Amino acid sequence: MRYGGDNRGRLLIIVLIVTSLFLITLDLRGVGVIDGVRTGTQTALTPVQKLGSWAVKPFRNFISDVTHLGRTQNQINKLKAENEKLRSRLQNRKIADAQLTQLKSVLDLAGTAEYKVVSARVISQGSSTSFTQTVSIDAGTSSGITQNMTVISGFGLVGVVKAAYANSALVQLASDPAFRIGVRIAGTQQIGILSGQGTRKGVLQLLDNTTQVKVGDVLLARGSQNGRPFVPGAPIGEVTSVDNSPGAVSQTAEVKFFANFSTLGVVAVVVSNPKSDPRDALVPPKPRPTPLPTVTVYASPDTATASQSPSPTKPSPTKPSPSKSSATR
Amino acid sequence: MALRRYLLSIPIFAFIFIVQESVVTQLRVPFGGFSLLLIFTLIWAAMSTPEIGALTGFGAGILMDLSQSSPGPMGHWTLVLILAGYTVAFLGYGDDNIRANPINIVFITTIGVVASQFVFLLLGLLLGQEIGSTSHILFLLAGSAFWTAIISPLLLKVISFTHSNVFGTRSLL
Repeated sequence: MRYGGDNRGRLLIIVLIVTSLFLITLDLRGVGVIDGVRTGTQTALTPVQKLGSWAVKPFRNFISDVTHLGRTQNQINKLKAENEKLRSRLQNRKIADAQLTQLKSVLDLAGTAEYKVVSARVISQGSSTSFTQTVSIDAGTSSGITQNMTVISGFGLVGVVKAAYANSALVQLASDPAFRIGVRIAGTQQIGILSGQGTRKGVLQLLDNTTQVKVGDVLLARGSQNGRPFVPGAPIGEVTSVDNSPGAVSQTAEVKFFANFSTLGVVAVVVSNPKSDPRDALVPPKPRPTPLPTVTVYASPDTATASQSPSPTKPSPTKPSPSKSSATR
Repeated sequence: MALRRYLLSIPIFAFIFIVQESVVTQLRVPFGGFSLLLIFTLIWAAMSTPEIGALTGFGAGILMDLSQSSPGPMGHWTLVLILAGYTVAFLGYGDDNIRANPINIVFITTIGVVASQFVFLLLGLLLGQEIGSTSHILFLLAGSAFWTAIISPLLLKVISFTHSNVFGTRSLL
């Protein structure tokens, strides 16, 4: 039998519809109670929604993966390409940072000595098959660089310009076997000649056999007339060993160059002689030894205990042990 | 008596509302998804008398208006669901050929869901809301019909069992 409805039912429907229209009117008129109810509901639902979001996340990801199968693959490819691009950019940034650090240090050095310099990047390393030690830089005569100019890095002397071209120059490194430079020892002012050996170490030959040279002495460039090929005061290296063989005509010493020729990135060519000799102003500060924590381990067969102490300690004489061993780092 | 039984259904609808808001809305299913509360309400109404259908629509409408995703003013969904609940209940009431046949209920529910959304859109248009492009609306309505046709048979047995327990009637399904 089809439902026909009655007056009570019709009245209920009318009341409900009027109520809903009343609610719509109230809300559109901006009555605060309605907004308050909605806000309250949302506030109460938020923790449940968070929980639900956490619970359905794997399922949601699955649905998303299924529905966006093609797009997901495209997105992965796109992200991979972007990742490569960013990685390359990061690598370039690292190189730029390293060059910036080198440039800063070389400018610091040049500034202290009041050298007028032209900065340049090392663009190629000379071939070692010709048994020479050279590098090419990306600045040449167009930048004011000419032959026989001193080349320095942030650590000190690098070499000398052997040939200058319009936009590049060839630099003979201090490590080149043909390289010779007049040097003086900082402090004592003893003079000698330093020659390259093809490695990072050179050989110093003192001119005065009666003077003494010590390990740790710093060598500086004596300087040439008008500052060419060498400007005075440029730090060169440090004495690492002294040959005191009796009967030798002149005293010799082994010197380690301050500049690391294999990591040269940015160098500076001194284009103008300083007004005054910087003397010993460019001697690099002595490195401060950082104290290393030492760990001493004592082991005995009967106790098999180990103790650690932050400073070196001697084994206690009251507890001698036949298998006692100590290791210090 | 009927009012007391009606009140018993409030926590059930509140639970469905919470599930809808905290789980279903998070799933982001394709084709626009579905409204569990809307489907539940229309199936519930299809098994009830027209008065209970209208009351059910009223309560569910209030809940849907409280939803964060509801764009309209308070009472917008309420008005639509009163009419939808009453209509769906009216269509099936007194005709066991309709109410005892699951396919008919699924069909009525699916049509009811699409019609409710359409009326909701029209009412929103009258109230000055932006409704978007026609193609998008058609896509969403088709998606809603699709999901309702999928979800309804799954829920039918549970809703029938719950409805018969709340109202003390023997389930016809």
